[in-house]
Amino acid sequence: MTKLEAIVQPSRFDSVKDALHEVGVDGMTVSEVRGHGRQKGHTEVYRGSEYTVDLLPKVKLEMILPDKLVDSAVAAILRTAKTGKIGDGKIFLSKVDDAIRIRNEERGEAAL
Amino acid sequence: MPDDPRVIPNRGPSSAPSPSPLLTTCAVESASVRERFEGHGDGLAVLREGSAFVDTVIDGFYRDLFSAQKTSPQDFCLVALGGYGRRELFPFSDIDLLFLSLNGQVETSRKDAVAAMARTLWDLRFRVGHTPRTLAECGKLHRDNLEFNTSLLDCRYLAGDPALFERLRGEVIPHLVRRDGQDLIRGFVEMTQARHSKHGNTIFHLEPNLKEAPGGLRDFHVARWLTLVSGLDRQGRWVVPEEVWPQTLQAEGARAFEFLAAARCFVHYARGRDDNQLTYEGQELAAARGIGCAPARSLHPADWMRTYFRHARSVQRLTARLFDEVAPARSSLYALFQDWRSRLSNADFSVVRGRIFPRQPATLGDPRLVLGLFEMMARHGLDPSREAERWVADAVARLPRQPSGIPGLWETFRQILVLPHSAQALRAMHRLGLLGAIFPEFHCVDCLVVRDYFHRYTVDEHTLMTIESLHELRPVQGKGASDGGRHPLEGWQLRFAEILAELEKPELLFLGLLFHDVGKGMPNENHVEGSLAAVEGVFERLGLSLEDRETVRFLIANHLEMSATVMRRDIFDPETIRNFAHLVGSPERLKMLCLLTYADIKSVNPEALTPWKAESLWQLYAATENYLARSLDEERVHSAIAETGKAERVLKLLGSPTSAEEFNTFLEGFPRRYLETHAPEEIAEHFRMGRQVASSQVELSLKAKDRFHELTVLATDRPLLFASLTGVLAAWGMNILKADAFANASGEILDTFRFVDLFRTLELNPGETDRLKDDIAGVVTGRTKLQDLIHGRVDSQIRPVAKVKIAGQVRFDDTSSSHSTLLELIAQDRPGLLYQVSSALAELGCNIEVALIDTEGQKVIDVFYLTAGGRKLTQLLQSNVRDALLELL
Repeated sequence: MTKLEAIVQPSRFDSVKDALHEVGVDGMTVSEVRGHGRQKGHTEVYRGSEYTVDLLPKVKLEMILPDKLVDSAVAAILRTAKTGKIGDGKIFLSKVDDAIRIRNEERGEAAL
Repeated sequence: MPDDPRVIPNRGPSSAPSPSPLLTTCAVESASVRERFEGHGDGLAVLREGSAFVDTVIDGFYRDLFSAQKTSPQDFCLVALGGYGRRELFPFSDIDLLFLSLNGQVETSRKDAVAAMARTLWDLRFRVGHTPRTLAECGKLHRDNLEFNTSLLDCRYLAGDPALFERLRGEVIPHLVRRDGQDLIRGFVEMTQARHSKHGNTIFHLEPNLKEAPGGLRDFHVARWLTLVSGLDRQGRWVVPEEVWPQTLQAEGARAFEFLAAARCFVHYARGRDDNQLTYEGQELAAARGIGCAPARSLHPADWMRTYFRHARSVQRLTARLFDEVAPARSSLYALFQDWRSRLSNADFSVVRGRIFPRQPATLGDPRLVLGLFEMMARHGLDPSREAERWVADAVARLPRQPSGIPGLWETFRQILVLPHSAQALRAMHRLGLLGAIFPEFHCVDCLVVRDYFHRYTVDEHTLMTIESLHELRPVQGKGASDGGRHPLEGWQLRFAEILAELEKPELLFLGLLFHDVGKGMPNENHVEGSLAAVEGVFERLGLSLEDRETVRFLIANHLEMSATVMRRDIFDPETIRNFAHLVGSPERLKMLCLLTYADIKSVNPEALTPWKAESLWQLYAATENYLARSLDEERVHSAIAETGKAERVLKLLGSPTSAEEFNTFLEGFPRRYLETHAPEEIAEHFRMGRQVASSQVELSLKAKDRFHELTVLATDRPLLFASLTGVLAAWGMNILKADAFANASGEILDTFRFVDLFRTLELNPGETDRLKDDIAGVVTGRTKLQDLIHGRVDSQIRPVAKVKIAGQVRFDDTSSSHSTLLELIAQDRPGLLYQVSSALAELGCNIEVALIDTEGQKVIDVFYLTAGGRKLTQLLQSNVRDALLELL
């Protein structure tokens, strides 16, 4: 099992979600987040007040996937989240040792 | 007989009963109650039969454990409390039992039997709450457990010493109520408020909790308790609540209870537990069976839910009325506040204890007077009295079928929309049927459920919440009790509050909000189209100006666009901002659409507008606002007729002698903002004025508006022209709030000024208007010297006291325009400032290509597009301008 975390542009989120459903990802956790990577913020002026837009709005998706789904999920995200511009986001993959469904104590991929 | 499982065995007092054979009995009985419910759908029968069966079981065990004779032993008895006490036992509700002893000694002697009984009932899977208490304990007010005191109000004798029970019911409880009735009622108020608050203070939930939500069964119980307490306190006797309620509420209340009871039984059976949430799935099943409807018939879920909401509204009305009647005397501070509010009485209405009473009989029901009641509510946050409600109901019945006959409807309704307690007034208008009578368009969203997992409220409630959420952005006037519940604004809300305060016609935004979703109640596939079609009738009835109709249409047509842009476009991409700026066109519309979006998202559910979304919304707003101010030079009109429908409409207004070519020449080169910010009628007037300029050199129009005067000047461009115009206004003591200075490709300038007549010169001296116009024309044509007018005037004027200190700022932007330098100036407002600034610019050789002058409170926000010698300003010149202006500020 693999944990997939992806940070994407809010404007791409709907397409990413649909593409993940299409490749068979059933569930995910989604959060509204703010942050920056190499794409640092910039300064704006509104009515004479300067404000720094240093933490940009992003959407974070988290899901635990059976190993056989990982490649197609990554491909789906790459296909739909990419605009080619700075700030498109990142995908992180990490190994998960075990999963347990609390209701019936199923373990491993069966619990996903 | 022994084969009949429903017969409860009596084994004599000594033996502990074995519950296992009884399990089957209980299961069979429960199943047969359920089966009968499946057939007749009568919830009240379930409650009755369920209670009667438990009575039988308990009776049997009582004989086993306490006494073979039902009315003994002495000084001890078994009492049913709560829902069981009322004989209203829902399939999976708790069974509350009181084991009442005369004193502690009796209680100790019965301890083991009490425990055995509770255990046996538990083993039979009854959900029993058992409470052993002495008579004295029942007479105390348990401030930390008012639920116990409350449950005693529903006490019912089951078995044991009848005299002891009679002392409880006939002496102890009445004595407690006489002594602590006010505290009990206060407890009801607090518990009800807390429960309502947990449920968003509205009955209009899409998946309501049948018991706990406002308008639910618990509210019905509270209404009964209030009546019982009031009866014991004031008449010294137990009353049957339903019999003493006013006749209309009796019937309504009974029907509502019957419906809610059936629905709750249905949900209990469907879920197999004490779950009272009416989920979408549950609604579908209940609607298909026509649960609670007589005769039972299959309904569409949305229609079934409308029935639910109407019953919930009846319960809410009943509870509110009873709270109102038996409300305890409040603190002296509250009394003072109410007393102060009674001074709000006027010729048409009197205010007593915070409620409005009509002074005129209903037969005189002038619709304007009825609207006046709601205007008063919206202004002061008062509630109507019952008399006023009846008066409104009478007036609604007499209302003309074509309410276009109500003179001055828009004027009063406009007030209701913008006043601080607007949502409260609109809710009452809706509840009492007036809103639907005046605007049948709104009636189609009455209690309307639109099923998606995002919305939590019905469409009408969502709509009224949008209006409320904007009013919550306004500063609270004073700290009266009526605003005590309002939370202070979060930092991210303050920005939206600022924009709201700047709106020129907030009433149009509120009107747009009121009708933005009415299309959801219409057969149209796209609700936006439905809303747009419906609102045309509203315009007619209100007699709205063409310009205002355009604005409201724009808001409704685009009410989903801004949130769609925030969520589905990259708001940091300049192309997104440019497209969005084109869509909104003008800063005023941008502000309105931004606030509409804020309110619309915020009213979907309490968590919908996260600070994350609000921040993104605001960033789109700020970027678009900046774009609109910085793109005037680039975004100019070319071949207006081909580009915009608006130009065509102007051409139609102008009639046949005008050629499209001539009109195109007039518009050519004006910033697009000009077309966006003026109504077709105004543009037509400007065009006519423009035709005269060739011979007259200058054309003027000066109009008195609500809060300001508006001056429009058309003339041939020449150096210092803008400075001269501002100079004349300064010399006359006029304070400029807003100004636009535009020019077309033919070298004609079109400047508009909105100014406040600080000394009311024009108002008090009608002849002065012509003299002002004459001075302006004189200065523009060179007949009059500005210096002669201005001599000693500007500096001698009294400066208003600055409430906030605003540091002067001067900023240049060489990138936004391809051939001008943008100068953005922020400063503390003062009379004559614009004249001084524009003169300083002229003296340094700067030509003002475009100017946008704005004042927000005491802050001046000016944008000038400057050239010098037909080019952008050099760095040296920018530096000189900066020094000169900063010195001036």
